[in-house]
Amino acid sequence: MSHGHSNPIEHPEVQMASRGSYLTGFIIASLLMLAATILVSGQVLAPFPLLLTIMGCAGLAAIAQIYFLLHIDISEHNIWNTVALVMFIPLFVITIGLTWWMFSQLYLRTMPMIPGMPGMH
Amino acid sequence: MSSSHDKPVDPNQVVLWSDDYEGHDVISTRTFGFWMYILSDGMLFATLFAAYGVLSYSHSYYTGPTPAQFVAPWYTFIQTMALFLSVLAYGFSMASLKTGSKAGVINGIMASMVLGIVFVGLDIHDVLRMISIGVTPEVSGGLSAFYALTQVHAAHIFVGLIWMLVMLYQILRKGFTEDVVGRLISLRMFWQFQAVMWVFIYVFVYLWGYMS
Repeated sequence: MSHGHSNPIEHPEVQMASRGSYLTGFIIASLLMLAATILVSGQVLAPFPLLLTIMGCAGLAAIAQIYFLLHIDISEHNIWNTVALVMFIPLFVITIGLTWWMFSQLYLRTMPMIPGMPGMH
Repeated sequence: MSSSHDKPVDPNQVVLWSDDYEGHDVISTRTFGFWMYILSDGMLFATLFAAYGVLSYSHSYYTGPTPAQFVAPWYTFIQTMALFLSVLAYGFSMASLKTGSKAGVINGIMASMVLGIVFVGLDIHDVLRMISIGVTPEVSGGLSAFYALTQVHAAHIFVGLIWMLVMLYQILRKGFTEDVVGRLISLRMFWQFQAVMWVFIYVFVYLWGYMS
């Protein structure tokens, strides 16, 4: 991790910035969000394929931003940031996924159908 | 054993450690530390996404309004573009830092700030519109979760804007010292990470809410 630069501008963390890479990340993420918005506002697909498609758009846009903007790659200087992110992703998914799963099972077993109340989905 | 061990070691010539101290790499250490903070911030968003996930069933809204009735996808898409362009402008500002161009860095941060203010302005306008049609956090659990998630993100953007203002002052006052450059890099990661979180909020809260 030691580079021994006296001038902070020459630090690899500064020098890794790249207009082309930032522009690429911006264009990919913007086009994916545009596609998702057109599909949802036009309602051209059935709900389930539509949901899968916009989930795919979100996943690809996030990966593009993480790779092109946040410099998460396997280069020597960035490897520990990448390792930390790889460790973080399961925590993020488990926190949301297990909570959602617990409550969906709880609702299924405990929510009585009250007349006038909207149904379970 | 490998052949390198065959040669006898001369204790007078072997180099066991470096003669001089290469220096503590402050920028790398701080950047990695700040990345740890950003991932913890990601866990904060995970808990809010989980809360929204369990409170976005149709019974969560009871008989009140659901996102399908108050979300405007194209309005929020303009917000998305304002945020992405702001992140791009900050990226360009950091590319100018490579050559030490003070004007380039300051112009980039100011463009980023203006676009960030557009994002927050659109968000406040949207909240006022929803309140005016009776969509307020106390109406239902679903709306509480919706407001908590979207407004915590807006609060991050607000904090980022304050931070940019502070950095503009520090660049003018101190120049590109090790401390200032380190903070500019931390702010870049913070700002870009807000765009990543916004992708999930936009798709899973606004768009999914609108279609269901």
